[in-house]
Amino acid sequence: MTERVTTSLSDVVPEEALSLPSTDWGRFGPGANVVVCPSNVDEVAATIRWAGATGTRVVPIGTGRHTEGNEPSGDFLLLSTSRMASVQIYEPGDLTLTAEAGLGISALSKVTAENRQWLPFDPVDFPRRSLGGLGAAGQTGPLWTGYGELKNHILGMTVVCGDGRFLKLGGRVVKNVAGFDILRPVVGSRGALAVITSLTVRLFPRPVVDRLLVLEAKSLVDLVGPARAVAMASVLPASIVLVRERNVCQLLVRLHGAAETADADQRTVEAAAGVPFVAVDGGSARVLADSVRDIGGESDLALHAFVLPSRLRELLAIVNDMVDLNVCADVYRGSLRVSCAPEADADEIATRVRHGMERVAEDVVVERLPRGSTHSLGTSRVRSDAVLELERGVKRVFDAGNVLWDGRP
Amino acid sequence: MSSPLPAAVVRSLREIVGRGHLITEPDRLVVYESDGLTAYRVPPRAVVLPASTEEVSRVVAVLHAANIAVIPRGAGTGLSGGALATAEGVVVGTARMNAILEIDASNRLARVQPGVINARLTEAAKPHGLYYAPDPSSQSTCTLGGNVAENSGGPHCLKYGVTSRYVTSLTVVLAHGRVVSLGGAGADPNASLDLVGLFVGSEGCFGIATEIEVRLLPIAEGVRTLLGIFDTMEAAGRAVTSIMGIGLLPAAMEIVDNATIRAVEASVFAAGYPIDAGAALIVEFDGTEAGLDADADRAEACCVQEGASAVQRAAEADHRAALWKGRKKAFGAMGRIAPDLLVQDATVPRTRLPEVLVRIAELGERYDLKIANVFHAGDGNLHPNILFDRLDLDELDRVERASKEIMALCVEVGGTITGEHGVGIDKRDYMPLVHGPEELAAMAAAKAVFDPDGLFNPDKVLPLRTQGTEPAAGAEA
Repeated sequence: MTERVTTSLSDVVPEEALSLPSTDWGRFGPGANVVVCPSNVDEVAATIRWAGATGTRVVPIGTGRHTEGNEPSGDFLLLSTSRMASVQIYEPGDLTLTAEAGLGISALSKVTAENRQWLPFDPVDFPRRSLGGLGAAGQTGPLWTGYGELKNHILGMTVVCGDGRFLKLGGRVVKNVAGFDILRPVVGSRGALAVITSLTVRLFPRPVVDRLLVLEAKSLVDLVGPARAVAMASVLPASIVLVRERNVCQLLVRLHGAAETADADQRTVEAAAGVPFVAVDGGSARVLADSVRDIGGESDLALHAFVLPSRLRELLAIVNDMVDLNVCADVYRGSLRVSCAPEADADEIATRVRHGMERVAEDVVVERLPRGSTHSLGTSRVRSDAVLELERGVKRVFDAGNVLWDGRP
Repeated sequence: MSSPLPAAVVRSLREIVGRGHLITEPDRLVVYESDGLTAYRVPPRAVVLPASTEEVSRVVAVLHAANIAVIPRGAGTGLSGGALATAEGVVVGTARMNAILEIDASNRLARVQPGVINARLTEAAKPHGLYYAPDPSSQSTCTLGGNVAENSGGPHCLKYGVTSRYVTSLTVVLAHGRVVSLGGAGADPNASLDLVGLFVGSEGCFGIATEIEVRLLPIAEGVRTLLGIFDTMEAAGRAVTSIMGIGLLPAAMEIVDNATIRAVEASVFAAGYPIDAGAALIVEFDGTEAGLDADADRAEACCVQEGASAVQRAAEADHRAALWKGRKKAFGAMGRIAPDLLVQDATVPRTRLPEVLVRIAELGERYDLKIANVFHAGDGNLHPNILFDRLDLDELDRVERASKEIMALCVEVGGTITGEHGVGIDKRDYMPLVHGPEELAAMAAAKAVFDPDGLFNPDKVLPLRTQGTEPAAGAEA
């Protein structure tokens, strides 16, 4: 942090809002000029206006722990919402909660657990994310199978745009079609459109039974048949996940509901798969589900491939014999996340896997690479000029001056 | 009276769609002068009925080249005047684009043209054990294209969500006939901005969806329907809160009030609801057969605890239909009470329902209007129905004032002015109740990204003053 920057920023935000750049703020921490942690919306807006005036890019973060994508070149600051972490409105009877963007998911979960309610999402490292970071990343995790995508459950937001404008998007109610849904592109935009300062989310009742059905096999492809059979069965599980970690291959089917429902669904799942599963209930189920959720969270390599679910077998066949890879597949979506152990050569693995996947997948996204990798972050999907033009137009609606960094890979 | 189309435009349109699919005769245009909200009527200059994406593209190109507005229209069942032919526009109807292009059962997807009737998709998916979840009340007549435009819901969206949850990709025709594909079920949903989500619910103001890919769900193994009879609306409202409070998530929870019950029971749609009941609450569960009775038992206990005088339960289709009849025929039954009906649509936080219903009743008394309530109680989506005679100008004025106060009331308690019917022309001028000038300007700028010349469904959704400031953010950059 240069003295010039500190002095200049001190004119618009209090000293206590400024922090030293470091790896504590995630991957981009060391390269930032400064980290600004505003305590309210006015300070967010002031910081962004200052950045626009000084030609400094703004990278919005929560904790910074899950920042992915391309690092900005030139001067940039990290704007963390970590000091904006209060619950603003929680009405259990409405199953909705409004909170500032910096509220951690684990803190939110403690509040909602008192009423047996929860946010039913499970992206990697879910509890250590912030609510705003979750909205900016737009990642749901495999529980989307039973609950729908995160973007369907973000009812409202407040944001600060690239020119410091404050906007209230959406609302606090679960059904709302009053105007164009300009909230939707903000979800998943990774901060490229606006800094999210608060969110209203829909909560769900915690299921009476949380059961994980586990089936092990020697290889991933051995599990594809049962996995697809479960995905085509007449029940809709909460999630269907295929994993391989340290060469242990498992199919995990998560069932939520009343005890009678879970029992009946288990019978249907086993009949569809043609084999009995091992059932794990309650706290043990959650521990196992959480460990599977976080596979690859610390890996230097994160590579995500997408196909239609009926073609998942082709994708898995590519990695089936690469037993040094950790794999986590969302069977209902048809997506596959590949990571590797810390001691592995991530760059070499990326070389081996990427091209094979690109022949099969509709989309291969390289989300994270080791420093100095010969590969580049990005997606294999070629978006049409027309789509790119529309995206640029939407960007201009929120951030015409291009102050907010678009680090999407 | 709209002016006739220039002869050159007529010739071009006929060449694209064929003589039989361009309507210009005034007596045939009458059919298209309003949608389901008949209080607004404007005959279009013409109606064009293309049969393919290519034809839609060419039609839009011809009309926009002549600076003529395009008014997209599905089945015309909308309730906000969204398909009204404002700005001397030409209606482009999707009625001929009614093919189900593919049911991909192995990926639980369907690809359809926009003129496909909502219920027909569910019928087509049924042999595969699948169905399409959003079920607006007009599902036997409304189209998927209209559902996309309005982001339609329905009674069962309490559990299953609205249209935007199910649309995975769209082919859209934008300004001057440009064809663009958005999204895709097999792609990374976060690799690009959510343009599909932005387009859904844009009420025909961004362009015309000509191909729609949606997710299908497995048909539930079983269904249980409960009908609880209550002395008061407050008690029924408390039962709703109680059911949700113990962790149940019904597929639907609907309430009809005494005024509605009386209207239904006095009509040919009589459903056997007691006419002295304060409210009737329908609760429906679906899912795995084994758990349904347990869920229904717990919901019934909530109803009894909150004072239900009777609770009926049905598992078989015929019996369930009988319990639903009073709800589903409510709007039809009101026709015998008054010549005109304004179906309001607003959403409030569920816990504020009892208070809001009392205040709506007070408004009815204050304005000397009969208001009957039918609503999706589970998600706080109210439908106060104001009965009136449009020939009585004094009454019409009171209807408008009461209507505005109802919306302001819903906003005051944390709700919004429309939960599922859309803004259209009907609520356009009430948008400032829920959105400030900056938000409205951002919406206008978003429209300009898709429709820079403002030629798709002009004069809808955004207050005219906002539409006049469209270039402020997006169009200039």
